[in-house]
Amino acid sequence: MNQEELGKRFLGVLFAVLDLSRGSLSLESRLMGGDSPIDSFSLVEICVQLEDLASEAGFEFDWTSDNAMSQSRSIFHSVESLQTEFTRQFSESSE
Amino acid sequence: MIIVTGASRGLGRAIADRLISAGHAVVGIARNTEGLNFPTYSCDVADAEAIKSVARSLRSSGEEVTGLINAAGIASLNLALMSPAPQVDRVIRVNLMGTIHCTQSFTPLMVRHKYGRIINFSTIAVTLGLSGEAAYAASKAGVEAFSRSFAREVSAFGITVNCVAPGPIGTDLLRGVSQGQIDKIVDRQIIRKQFQPADVCDVVELLLDSRSKSLSGQVLHVGGA
Repeated sequence: MNQEELGKRFLGVLFAVLDLSRGSLSLESRLMGGDSPIDSFSLVEICVQLEDLASEAGFEFDWTSDNAMSQSRSIFHSVESLQTEFTRQFSESSE
Repeated sequence: MIIVTGASRGLGRAIADRLISAGHAVVGIARNTEGLNFPTYSCDVADAEAIKSVARSLRSSGEEVTGLINAAGIASLNLALMSPAPQVDRVIRVNLMGTIHCTQSFTPLMVRHKYGRIINFSTIAVTLGLSGEAAYAASKAGVEAFSRSFAREVSAFGITVNCVAPGPIGTDLLRGVSQGQIDKIVDRQIIRKQFQPADVCDVVELLLDSRSKSLSGQVLHVGGA
Protein backbone atom coordinates (compact mmCIF):
# COMPACT_ATOMS: atom_id res chain seq x y z
CA MET A 1 0.00 0.00 0.00
CA ASN A 2 1.43 3.41 -0.91
CA GLN A 3 0.90 6.72 0.86
CA GLU A 4 -1.75 7.94 -1.58
CA GLU A 5 -3.80 4.80 -1.23
CA LEU A 6 -3.40 4.92 2.55
CA GLY A 7 -4.69 8.51 2.56
CA LYS A 8 -7.79 7.45 0.62
CA ARG A 9 -8.40 4.48 2.89
CA PHE A 10 -7.98 6.82 5.90
CA LEU A 11 -10.82 9.02 4.65
CA GLY A 12 -12.86 5.92 3.89
CA VAL A 13 -12.61 4.92 7.57
CA LEU A 14 -13.82 8.34 8.69
CA PHE A 15 -16.77 8.38 6.33
CA ALA A 16 -17.75 4.82 7.21
CA VAL A 17 -17.64 5.34 10.98
CA LEU A 18 -19.36 8.71 10.86
CA ASP A 19 -21.88 7.61 8.27
CA LEU A 20 -21.36 10.87 6.39
CA SER A 21 -21.44 11.77 2.76
CA ARG A 22 -18.06 12.82 1.42
CA GLY A 23 -19.17 16.42 0.98
CA SER A 24 -20.02 16.93 4.64
CA LEU A 25 -16.49 16.54 6.01
CA SER A 26 -13.45 18.51 4.95
CA LEU A 27 -9.78 18.33 5.91
CA GLU A 28 -10.37 21.37 8.12
CA SER A 29 -13.25 19.75 10.03
CA ARG A 30 -12.52 19.60 13.74
CA LEU A 31 -12.38 16.22 15.39
CA MET A 32 -12.50 17.40 19.01
CA GLY A 33 -14.12 20.30 20.83
CA GLY A 34 -15.66 23.41 19.38
CA ASP A 35 -18.11 22.76 16.59
CA SER A 36 -16.91 19.24 15.92
CA PRO A 37 -19.68 17.05 14.51
CA ILE A 38 -17.91 14.01 15.96
CA ASP A 39 -18.63 12.60 19.41
CA SER A 40 -15.91 11.02 21.50
CA PHE A 41 -17.28 7.50 20.98
CA SER A 42 -16.96 7.88 17.21
CA LEU A 43 -13.45 9.20 17.60
CA VAL A 44 -12.44 6.11 19.59
CA GLU A 45 -14.02 3.90 16.95
CA ILE A 46 -12.14 5.76 14.21
CA CYS A 47 -8.84 5.21 16.03
CA VAL A 48 -9.52 1.52 16.55
CA GLN A 49 -10.31 1.11 12.85
CA LEU A 50 -7.20 3.10 11.93
CA GLU A 51 -5.19 0.65 14.05
CA ASP A 52 -6.57 -2.14 11.87
CA LEU A 53 -5.80 -0.22 8.68
CA ALA A 54 -2.28 0.41 9.94
CA SER A 55 -1.80 -3.29 10.66
CA GLU A 56 -2.91 -4.05 7.12
CA ALA A 57 -0.39 -1.52 5.83
CA GLY A 58 2.34 -3.02 8.00
CA PHE A 59 2.80 -0.47 10.76
CA GLU A 60 1.59 0.30 14.27
CA PHE A 61 -0.59 3.38 14.69
CA ASP A 62 0.03 4.97 18.10
CA TRP A 63 -2.84 7.27 19.04
CA THR A 64 -2.13 7.35 22.77
CA SER A 65 1.15 9.24 22.81
CA ASP A 66 1.72 12.58 24.59
CA ASN A 67 1.54 14.13 21.16
CA ALA A 68 -1.94 12.79 20.54
CA MET A 69 -3.62 14.79 23.28
CA SER A 70 -1.35 17.84 23.51
CA GLN A 71 -3.47 21.01 23.54
CA SER A 72 -1.20 22.86 21.16
CA ARG A 73 -0.45 20.12 18.64
CA SER A 74 -3.08 17.44 19.15
CA ILE A 75 -3.34 14.99 16.30
CA PHE A 76 -7.09 15.12 16.89
CA HIS A 77 -7.35 18.83 16.10
CA SER A 78 -8.73 18.25 12.62
CA VAL A 79 -9.19 15.61 9.95
CA GLU A 80 -6.02 16.92 8.33
CA SER A 81 -3.89 16.74 11.51
CA LEU A 82 -4.97 13.15 12.13
CA GLN A 83 -4.35 12.19 8.52
CA THR A 84 -0.93 13.87 8.60
CA GLU A 85 0.05 11.98 11.75
CA PHE A 86 -1.31 8.70 10.40
CA THR A 87 0.64 8.95 7.15
CA ARG A 88 3.71 10.25 9.04
CA GLN A 89 3.76 7.11 11.18
CA PHE A 90 3.38 5.04 8.02
CA SER A 91 6.32 6.82 6.34
CA GLU A 92 8.44 6.53 9.47
CA SER A 93 7.85 2.80 9.60
CA SER A 94 8.81 2.42 5.93
CA GLU A 95 12.17 4.15 6.38
CA MET B 1 -10.60 -14.79 25.21
CA ILE B 2 -10.36 -13.32 28.70
CA ILE B 3 -7.21 -11.55 29.91
CA VAL B 4 -6.34 -12.02 33.57
CA THR B 5 -3.55 -9.98 35.13
CA GLY B 6 -1.76 -11.16 38.24
CA ALA B 7 -2.44 -14.65 36.96
CA SER B 8 0.48 -16.40 38.66
CA ARG B 9 -0.89 -16.44 42.18
CA GLY B 10 -3.53 -15.28 44.63
CA LEU B 11 -6.90 -14.17 43.32
CA GLY B 12 -5.63 -13.80 39.75
CA ARG B 13 -4.53 -17.42 39.67
CA ALA B 14 -7.76 -18.63 41.28
CA ILE B 15 -9.79 -16.68 38.72
CA ALA B 16 -7.73 -17.93 35.78
CA ASP B 17 -8.10 -21.53 36.96
CA ARG B 18 -11.85 -21.10 37.50
CA LEU B 19 -12.39 -19.59 34.05
CA ILE B 20 -10.36 -22.28 32.34
CA SER B 21 -12.40 -24.93 34.18
CA ALA B 22 -15.55 -23.21 32.93
CA GLY B 23 -14.32 -23.51 29.35
CA HIS B 24 -13.06 -19.97 28.74
CA ALA B 25 -9.88 -19.27 26.81
CA VAL B 26 -7.63 -17.37 29.21
CA VAL B 27 -4.46 -15.38 28.64
CA GLY B 28 -2.57 -14.64 31.81
CA ILE B 29 -0.25 -11.74 32.50
CA ALA B 30 2.22 -11.91 35.37
CA ARG B 31 5.80 -11.01 36.14
CA ASN B 32 6.66 -14.65 36.73
CA THR B 33 4.79 -17.06 34.48
CA GLU B 34 6.92 -20.10 35.16
CA GLY B 35 4.88 -23.26 35.70
CA LEU B 36 1.58 -21.82 34.49
CA ASN B 37 -0.25 -24.26 32.24
CA PHE B 38 -2.16 -21.75 30.13
CA PRO B 39 -1.08 -19.07 27.62
CA THR B 40 0.72 -16.22 29.33
CA TYR B 41 2.74 -13.08 28.79
CA SER B 42 5.49 -12.32 31.24
CA CYS B 43 5.50 -8.62 32.08
CA ASP B 44 4.91 -6.04 34.78
CA VAL B 45 1.53 -4.25 34.61
CA ALA B 46 3.25 -1.09 35.85
CA ASP B 47 5.24 -1.00 32.59
CA ALA B 48 2.97 0.78 30.11
CA GLU B 49 5.12 0.01 27.07
CA ALA B 50 5.30 -3.70 27.90
CA ILE B 51 1.52 -3.83 28.23
CA LYS B 52 1.10 -2.01 24.90
CA SER B 53 3.33 -4.63 23.34
CA VAL B 54 1.13 -7.44 24.71
CA ALA B 55 -1.92 -5.68 23.27
CA ARG B 56 -0.24 -5.47 19.85
CA SER B 57 0.53 -9.16 19.99
CA LEU B 58 -3.05 -10.05 20.94
CA ARG B 59 -4.43 -7.81 18.20
CA SER B 60 -2.29 -9.45 15.57
CA SER B 61 -3.38 -12.89 16.78
CA GLY B 62 -6.90 -11.93 15.70
CA GLU B 63 -8.52 -13.58 18.71
CA GLU B 64 -11.60 -11.88 20.10
CA VAL B 65 -11.07 -10.43 23.56
CA THR B 66 -14.28 -10.43 25.60
CA GLY B 67 -12.99 -9.73 29.08
CA LEU B 68 -10.24 -8.12 31.11
CA ILE B 69 -9.74 -8.92 34.76
CA ASN B 70 -7.26 -6.58 36.42
CA ALA B 71 -6.34 -8.74 39.38
CA ALA B 72 -2.65 -7.83 39.64
CA GLY B 73 -2.06 -6.11 42.93
CA ILE B 74 0.27 -5.72 45.84
CA ALA B 75 -0.37 -4.70 49.42
CA SER B 76 1.64 -2.58 51.80
CA LEU B 77 0.32 -3.06 55.28
CA ASN B 78 2.16 -0.37 57.18
CA LEU B 79 1.19 2.75 59.03
CA ALA B 80 1.35 5.59 56.51
CA LEU B 81 3.89 7.47 58.61
CA MET B 82 6.20 4.47 58.51
CA SER B 83 5.82 3.57 54.85
CA PRO B 84 8.97 4.16 52.78
CA ALA B 85 8.26 6.35 49.75
CA PRO B 86 9.45 3.73 47.20
CA GLN B 87 7.04 1.21 48.71
CA VAL B 88 4.09 3.62 48.48
CA ASP B 89 5.13 4.49 44.93
CA ARG B 90 5.22 0.82 43.93
CA VAL B 91 1.76 0.17 45.43
CA ILE B 92 0.28 3.06 43.44
CA ARG B 93 2.11 2.06 40.25
CA VAL B 94 1.05 -1.59 40.34
CA ASN B 95 -2.48 -1.27 41.73
CA LEU B 96 -3.65 1.95 40.12
CA MET B 97 -1.37 2.62 37.17
CA GLY B 98 -1.25 -1.08 36.28
CA THR B 99 -5.05 -1.15 36.11
CA ILE B 100 -5.07 2.00 33.98
CA HIS B 101 -2.33 0.79 31.61
CA CYS B 102 -4.05 -2.55 31.02
CA THR B 103 -7.46 -0.97 30.60
CA GLN B 104 -6.14 1.59 28.10
CA SER B 105 -4.27 -0.99 26.08
CA PHE B 106 -6.77 -3.85 26.04
CA THR B 107 -10.09 -2.01 25.76
CA PRO B 108 -9.64 -1.23 22.03
CA LEU B 109 -9.59 -5.01 21.49
CA MET B 110 -13.16 -5.06 22.85
CA VAL B 111 -14.32 -1.86 21.14
CA ARG B 112 -13.80 -3.66 17.81
CA HIS B 113 -16.65 -6.09 18.40
CA LYS B 114 -18.73 -3.87 20.69
CA TYR B 115 -18.66 -6.16 23.68
CA GLY B 116 -16.58 -6.48 26.78
CA ARG B 117 -16.47 -7.03 30.50
CA ILE B 118 -13.80 -5.24 32.51
CA ILE B 119 -13.45 -6.23 36.14
CA ASN B 120 -11.13 -4.29 38.40
CA PHE B 121 -10.19 -5.01 41.97
CA SER B 122 -10.73 -2.78 44.95
CA THR B 123 -10.88 -3.62 48.64
CA ILE B 124 -13.11 -3.29 51.66
CA ALA B 125 -10.34 -1.07 53.08
CA VAL B 126 -11.57 1.79 50.86
CA THR B 127 -15.00 1.77 52.49
CA LEU B 128 -13.90 0.97 56.04
CA GLY B 129 -10.81 3.20 56.13
CA LEU B 130 -8.67 0.58 57.78
CA SER B 131 -5.62 1.64 59.76
CA GLY B 132 -2.32 0.45 58.30
CA GLU B 133 -3.68 0.28 54.76
CA ALA B 134 -3.61 3.94 53.74
CA ALA B 135 -1.46 3.57 50.61
CA TYR B 136 -3.18 0.37 49.56
CA ALA B 137 -6.64 1.86 50.12
CA ALA B 138 -5.64 5.06 48.30
CA SER B 139 -4.53 3.05 45.27
CA LYS B 140 -7.78 1.09 45.25
CA ALA B 141 -9.93 4.19 45.77
CA GLY B 142 -8.24 5.44 42.62
CA VAL B 143 -9.20 2.22 40.86
CA GLU B 144 -12.84 2.71 41.90
CA ALA B 145 -12.90 6.32 40.66
CA PHE B 146 -11.19 5.37 37.40
CA SER B 147 -13.65 2.52 36.88
CA ARG B 148 -16.73 4.70 37.39
CA SER B 149 -15.54 7.30 34.88
CA PHE B 150 -14.25 4.78 32.38
CA ALA B 151 -17.54 2.88 32.55
CA ARG B 152 -19.26 5.95 31.08
CA GLU B 153 -16.61 6.36 28.37
CA VAL B 154 -17.09 2.85 26.98
CA SER B 155 -20.77 2.14 27.64
CA ALA B 156 -21.65 2.90 24.02
CA PHE B 157 -19.43 0.01 22.96
CA GLY B 158 -21.30 -2.60 25.00
CA ILE B 159 -18.45 -2.70 27.51
CA THR B 160 -19.16 -2.76 31.23
CA VAL B 161 -16.64 -1.81 33.90
CA ASN B 162 -17.09 -2.87 37.50
CA CYS B 163 -15.02 -3.36 40.62
CA VAL B 164 -14.98 -6.30 42.97
CA ALA B 165 -14.02 -5.30 46.49
CA PRO B 166 -13.24 -8.25 48.70
CA GLY B 167 -12.77 -8.23 52.43
CA PRO B 168 -9.90 -10.27 53.89
CA ILE B 169 -9.56 -13.24 51.56
CA GLY B 170 -7.15 -16.08 52.24
CA THR B 171 -4.34 -15.18 49.83
CA ASP B 172 -0.69 -14.13 50.08
CA LEU B 173 -1.78 -10.50 50.50
CA LEU B 174 -2.83 -11.32 54.04
CA ARG B 175 0.57 -12.72 54.96
CA GLY B 176 1.61 -11.07 58.20
CA VAL B 177 -1.91 -10.11 59.24
CA SER B 178 -2.96 -11.78 62.48
CA GLN B 179 -6.19 -13.77 62.72
CA GLY B 180 -7.34 -11.29 65.37
CA GLN B 181 -6.98 -8.40 62.92
CA ILE B 182 -8.76 -10.39 60.21
CA ASP B 183 -11.63 -11.17 62.60
CA LYS B 184 -12.04 -7.49 63.45
CA ILE B 185 -12.41 -6.61 59.75
CA VAL B 186 -14.77 -9.52 59.12
CA ASP B 187 -16.93 -8.28 62.03
CA ARG B 188 -17.45 -5.02 60.13
CA GLN B 189 -18.71 -6.75 56.97
CA ILE B 190 -22.46 -7.11 56.45
CA ILE B 191 -22.00 -10.87 56.22
CA ARG B 192 -19.66 -11.70 59.10
CA LYS B 193 -17.71 -14.48 57.49
CA GLN B 194 -14.24 -14.71 56.00
CA PHE B 195 -14.74 -15.50 52.34
CA GLN B 196 -12.40 -17.50 50.16
CA PRO B 197 -10.96 -17.03 46.65
CA ALA B 198 -13.72 -19.30 45.30
CA ASP B 199 -16.34 -16.82 46.54
CA VAL B 200 -14.59 -13.99 44.69
CA CYS B 201 -14.48 -16.18 41.56
CA ASP B 202 -18.27 -16.56 41.84
CA VAL B 203 -18.71 -12.77 41.75
CA VAL B 204 -16.28 -12.46 38.84
CA GLU B 205 -18.24 -15.06 36.88
CA LEU B 206 -21.46 -13.20 37.64
CA LEU B 207 -20.00 -9.98 36.20
CA LEU B 208 -18.52 -11.74 33.18
CA ASP B 209 -21.87 -13.21 32.24
CA SER B 210 -23.50 -11.54 29.25
CA ARG B 211 -26.64 -11.14 31.39
CA SER B 212 -24.81 -8.63 33.59
CA LYS B 213 -25.13 -6.04 30.80
CA SER B 214 -27.08 -3.63 33.01
CA LEU B 215 -24.36 -3.47 35.67
CA SER B 216 -21.61 -0.94 35.07
CA GLY B 217 -19.62 1.52 37.16
CA GLN B 218 -20.44 -0.45 40.30
CA VAL B 219 -18.40 -1.71 43.23
CA LEU B 220 -19.46 -5.12 44.47
CA HIS B 221 -18.31 -5.81 48.03
CA VAL B 222 -17.70 -9.49 48.70
CA GLY B 223 -19.21 -9.91 52.15
CA GLY B 224 -20.93 -6.55 52.00
CA ALA B 225 -19.69 -3.24 53.38
